[in-house]
Amino acid sequence: MKTTYLTAGPITQKMIGIFLDKIGSRTDAGGHSLFLGQVRADRIDGKCVVAIEYSAYEEMVKKEAEKIKDHILSEFPDAKSIDIVHSTGIVRSGEISLLVIVSAGHRRQAIDACSKAVELIKEKFPVWKKEIFEDNSYGWKENIPG
Amino acid sequence: MEVKVLFFGVLAEITSTNLKIYREVKSISDLKLRIQDDFPEMVHYNYRISLNNEIINNDPNLNNGDEIAFMPPFAGG
Repeated sequence: MKTTYLTAGPITQKMIGIFLDKIGSRTDAGGHSLFLGQVRADRIDGKCVVAIEYSAYEEMVKKEAEKIKDHILSEFPDAKSIDIVHSTGIVRSGEISLLVIVSAGHRRQAIDACSKAVELIKEKFPVWKKEIFEDNSYGWKENIPG
Repeated sequence: MEVKVLFFGVLAEITSTNLKIYREVKSISDLKLRIQDDFPEMVHYNYRISLNNEIINNDPNLNNGDEIAFMPPFAGG
């Protein structure tokens, strides 16, 4: 089965629903932890962010996503599966740009593994964001190391 | 020989391109010199370099068909 880690535009309710429908088939899981990253309407120098334009190095995203999955399943032996989807292109304030779902036998590792996966994505994914302001000006944003 | 050079984020903006082909480039340091000649603005920006999808910190020789990416600090998630 082809695994896609990137999607053009925002992650929609329909997409989230498709992933949620799938997780029930993991009958060895007792907990699922879901993270949704949303574009926030930050106010910078008096201007409001209305959207973010994401760009990505697709081949390297795939490679890094596979490494992150291996890392998570290794560090959290109770984790059964992990799904990652990141947006590319324009995502407006209030829309979702990142989805991470971790299924585990028990809740503790589901929660901890999901949290660790999000941190690794922020550190390792070759993705860039251009914040677009209400007056159509923009600025490039960098992640601050956690 | 030729290599494919990709620019991302703000670097794609200042070079006005996502992709440029360079010919007869011996190494990463050789490539950097050529790119700095073509795009002097790049000296003002921080970036990391990947070779065939792996981030590198050294100065390997380049081979025909290699793909090198110039990547500003990441901003995913």
